[in-house]
Amino acid sequence: MLFNSLTFVVFFAVVVTLYWSIRSWNPRKNLLVTASYIFYGAWNPPFAALLFSTTAMDFWLGARIARARGPHSRKLWLVGSVAMNLSMLGFFKYGNFLLENFQWFMARLGVIYQPPHLDILLPVGISFYTFHSLSYTLDIYRGVLEPTKSLRDFVLAVSFFPQLVAGPIVRAGDFLPQLVRAPSLRAGQFLWGLLLMTLGLFEKIVLADTMLSGAADRIFSYPGPLIALDSWLGVIAFAGQIFFDFAGYSICAIGAALCLGFHLKDNFRFPYAAIGFSDFWRRWHISLSTFLRDYLYIPLGGNQVRPFRAALNLVIVMFLGGLWHGAAWTFVVWGLLHGSYLVIERVLRILFEDKAWANNFGTRCLLAAATYGAVCIAWVFFRASDFTAASRMLSGMFGRHVSGDAILSTREMLQVIIVTACMILVHALLRDTNLETAVTRLPRWTVTGAWALMAGAIILTQGSSNAFIYFQF
Amino acid sequence: MTVIVVLFVCAAAFAWESYVRSIGYVPTLNDTEDLWTQVRRQVRPESLVIVGDSRPLFDLDLDELEKGLGKRPVQIAVAGSCAYPILADLVNDDKFHGTVICSIVPGMFFVPGGPLLETSEKALKRYRTQTIAQRASHHLGMFLEEHIAFLKQEDLTLERLLAKLPIPNRPYAHVPPTLPPDFQTVDHERRMRMIEKCAQPGELQTRIQQIWPPLFTPPPPPSYVPKEVFMEQMGKAVEARFRDTVAAVNQLRARGGKIVFVRFPHSGELKALEDRLSPREKTWDPLIKSTGAPGIYYSDFPELSEFHCPEWSHLSAGDSVEFTRRLVPHLRTALGM
Repeated sequence: MLFNSLTFVVFFAVVVTLYWSIRSWNPRKNLLVTASYIFYGAWNPPFAALLFSTTAMDFWLGARIARARGPHSRKLWLVGSVAMNLSMLGFFKYGNFLLENFQWFMARLGVIYQPPHLDILLPVGISFYTFHSLSYTLDIYRGVLEPTKSLRDFVLAVSFFPQLVAGPIVRAGDFLPQLVRAPSLRAGQFLWGLLLMTLGLFEKIVLADTMLSGAADRIFSYPGPLIALDSWLGVIAFAGQIFFDFAGYSICAIGAALCLGFHLKDNFRFPYAAIGFSDFWRRWHISLSTFLRDYLYIPLGGNQVRPFRAALNLVIVMFLGGLWHGAAWTFVVWGLLHGSYLVIERVLRILFEDKAWANNFGTRCLLAAATYGAVCIAWVFFRASDFTAASRMLSGMFGRHVSGDAILSTREMLQVIIVTACMILVHALLRDTNLETAVTRLPRWTVTGAWALMAGAIILTQGSSNAFIYFQF
Repeated sequence: MTVIVVLFVCAAAFAWESYVRSIGYVPTLNDTEDLWTQVRRQVRPESLVIVGDSRPLFDLDLDELEKGLGKRPVQIAVAGSCAYPILADLVNDDKFHGTVICSIVPGMFFVPGGPLLETSEKALKRYRTQTIAQRASHHLGMFLEEHIAFLKQEDLTLERLLAKLPIPNRPYAHVPPTLPPDFQTVDHERRMRMIEKCAQPGELQTRIQQIWPPLFTPPPPPSYVPKEVFMEQMGKAVEARFRDTVAAVNQLRARGGKIVFVRFPHSGELKALEDRLSPREKTWDPLIKSTGAPGIYYSDFPELSEFHCPEWSHLSAGDSVEFTRRLVPHLRTALGM
């Protein structure tokens, strides 16, 4: 079920009404579990069984880890959980990718091997709910979480419908404590939730799908050479599209959860005003970057090791982060590029951080622009269907197709330029605050007017059947 | 605050609805992939099925066909599409041994790739992968579309409204041609009827007439492929489509199915353009000859040639009923009924 669908509007209205009209807590939680499984099963009912079996297995393994006496057996149960989750992810998401690469490798060795193409349907949101579930056993192993005694509560923590299919990645340790006591209905919180849902849908339907996706899709699917202007506009259109698409989903999820009395952490914090790449990753898909930091980067030694090893750790983490996004080498290159950016930034920090000029306003503006430019270049690999397309795009961007084609209409160009300029301005103005604080500071009539305009624009776009980009991950 | 927002949105929606009704829009269904899927699901092994482009959608009256052929046809033609993927999908269904009425617009049927092919493939993809949630949204959407005139996905969305802004393009930019506005009503069986405003001479009719020629003119060869290579590739693709169509017809006939190709009326400058770009002797005649299937070319029959398409490509709602009535005897003969 998509947030931007009529089915969801009806579904959510029914769930919220029933939820707040039930007085006792346990039936309300049962309602949320049922609603979450309906929400998920509406895509493909058999995959709901897969979701439940993974969850149940991690519930059991979590209890085993907590009960295990020695460190060796604790580790063994954890390995069981990690192996189960990753092998499931590996089969559904990376099965064909691994087979194709094995075929390529064998061919290099002179062995002709023709693997069968596995007709695997990717369960929606598998990358997200696997991480939701995995965080539970990892945190129990790390000793920061007590296992819950209620399978129902854990099932709800993993499958809670607002964050189930495209995040934010909510750790069991953040969600389970919220299931202890029933939240009470507070008008202000409920309204803020509705406002966030409107904002999220506006970002997705109006800004991502209507204003930017057309230009991005046309540029990235064009098989010929493009002039620099069109190439750059296509890339910055995609940079805006993916932000509004994914941040829009996250905001919707946070708003929907808030309407039900749950608090989910921010997933984006004005990332295109980042100064440097470590700053960018503190602002972009925060739930993933902190997940990778806590469960991968720090266990690898983090930055408490020799500089070379710390740099290698960064690259490893970003390599896996890239692969998490999709089973293709283009995603790996995207991750590796970000890994390299982080390493270069670290070196530059060592060399120049204490220089006075490095922290003045002009330099910070230049660094923010450079960060945005480098992030856009990395998006080329994220969006391009293959390396040929990526290379063609980069050639266009760097002026190697002087006599290339121009394919964007003036209207599309204006849409991309205006929306991107406004987006960067807003990110720059709000980079040191958060959305809630910023909205609280605004006069009431401004918020009311903006809310009404966003709702009106959503109705005018007549919804959209475009799936969220991150569903495929 | 919420009350003000709700009031504002309701007032704005009411004002917009009143305005679009005042300029001629009426509530009607959107011809979406979901509606197509809903109708495609009605195909049974022995069904009478219509495939093709927008012309049979406008020009064939389902009641008249049922009266004349004894079966209610299932309308799965797709506007602005190449019919081949739909035909191939139908033929590849081993259970299907019914009758197919296939509209041919050569410039669309033989197109080697691009948006026309993608339109059909998108409809098929939705048919194969439609989820329960999409199905539910479709039914909710249909309820709203039947009551609200501004719900026109092809015409009154924010994107389409922005596209109507008169902003000149760079002279050297390869910008896709403009698509026509809505000029039809659609029902649950996907029967399309031209609205009266378009059937009568006026601004809408003239605007649509001006849209067809650039839309039907093939784009120039891409700058990044040598012209000779491109033309050779196109030639091979067209030959392949001929071969595939022959194979599809044979496959259908082997299972006891029947097919008849139909060339529907078109008029004015569009007819001249189509005749020039895809002359009958290079498209229609070889198709009928190579498949051995019956074909009805409207201009071969005086009673079918009398019709004029108001916007050059489709018949008016009234003419479509009479045209279908006159077409039925030819269909009966062609199908051996």
